[in-house]
Amino acid sequence: MADVPKSMAASAQALPLSLDRKRKKEEDRELVRLSQDGTEAAFEELVRRHQQRVFALVGGILRRPEDVEDVAQQVFLKAYLGIKRFDQRAAFSTWLYKIAVNECWDYLRKKKVRPLVYEADLSEEQVSRLDGIVSADRPPEGPGARAETREVLDRMLAALPEQDRQLLVLKEMEGFSVQELAEILDLNVNTVKVRLFRARGRIMDVYRRRMDSSGKLAGSRSTQRKG
Amino acid sequence: MATETKFGYTACAKYEALLEDYLDGALELTDAKSAEQHCRDCANCRGALEQAASSVRLLRLAGPSVGPGPAFARTVMARIRAAEQERSSERAGFWQPLVSLGWRFAATATLVLGALVSYDAGWGRHAQRNLATARLTGTSDIFAPDPANPPADRDEVLMMVAETNHGK
Repeated sequence: MADVPKSMAASAQALPLSLDRKRKKEEDRELVRLSQDGTEAAFEELVRRHQQRVFALVGGILRRPEDVEDVAQQVFLKAYLGIKRFDQRAAFSTWLYKIAVNECWDYLRKKKVRPLVYEADLSEEQVSRLDGIVSADRPPEGPGARAETREVLDRMLAALPEQDRQLLVLKEMEGFSVQELAEILDLNVNTVKVRLFRARGRIMDVYRRRMDSSGKLAGSRSTQRKG
Repeated sequence: MATETKFGYTACAKYEALLEDYLDGALELTDAKSAEQHCRDCANCRGALEQAASSVRLLRLAGPSVGPGPAFARTVMARIRAAEQERSSERAGFWQPLVSLGWRFAATATLVLGALVSYDAGWGRHAQRNLATARLTGTSDIFAPDPANPPADRDEVLMMVAETNHGK
């Protein structure tokens, strides 16, 4: 069994952020070619390079941490089984992320659930805490506070149409670019931009309604609308 | 034209994509200036842009979801190996009846061929032994025609047969 070129493995481990996109894509192409020839180590390197993004994508769609690892493993297994048919016309990452999106939808269909369903509304305490965090405009400190903020945001996102929620989560929480979202979700770039912009308005509507119902935003809304 | 929602603002349709790019910092300087100019003139777009900027702050508070553990790649590779093994045993299972039939056929064919060869070899030796005996005793095969005096016609053949039978 042939090995992955050492420089490639080392550069991927040591300087993942400094690698520019073009070079990364070229290296991916070579790793894909080696994987197609049956080099397991090359595929393992591809897994290492893309696991973070696949986790983010799967996590962004499913929003169920307990299921993310299993689905992410399934994504890489499918990629491995199909890699000989991959013609490299698109980037490996685009191809892989499409597999991930399909796998998520298959999973949700089999489980017959919406990606995220919350019956209960936010408690007044949660609303108040979120308002404090937004006003301070800095991320909550500590894993517990972050998890709680995330849960509150998830509840608000659950009030949006599925596509809006998905776009916002993948763009703002998981860090995918507009271009990437267009490729992954098979949408026109301009469509992604417009939908994202509208989704932003909707999530803020939800936020304001939550705040308004607890009397937090009554003053600020009237001030804003005067402008 | 832009419309106002119950709580927030809706931007002019033709500026939505541009404002998203502005928010993303993806505009060239001239385009960015043109977006800013439009927002100064249009309250709805200005409100929608502020609203969108707030959504960025709000959503980024949570940060990305939890990433994979350090053993993830190894676990994936182990799962791949297990799946490969399962696939190859499934393939073997599928062809097993045909393979077994093939072996049986090959074994039978070998036996039959062996029997034929040994029979043929035994017959050959027997024929050679008969010929050698005939040469030694000076007798010839009763069914073989006499090479010195071949029968001239059909009647002679019948006569020869009759004589041979009488001789016996």
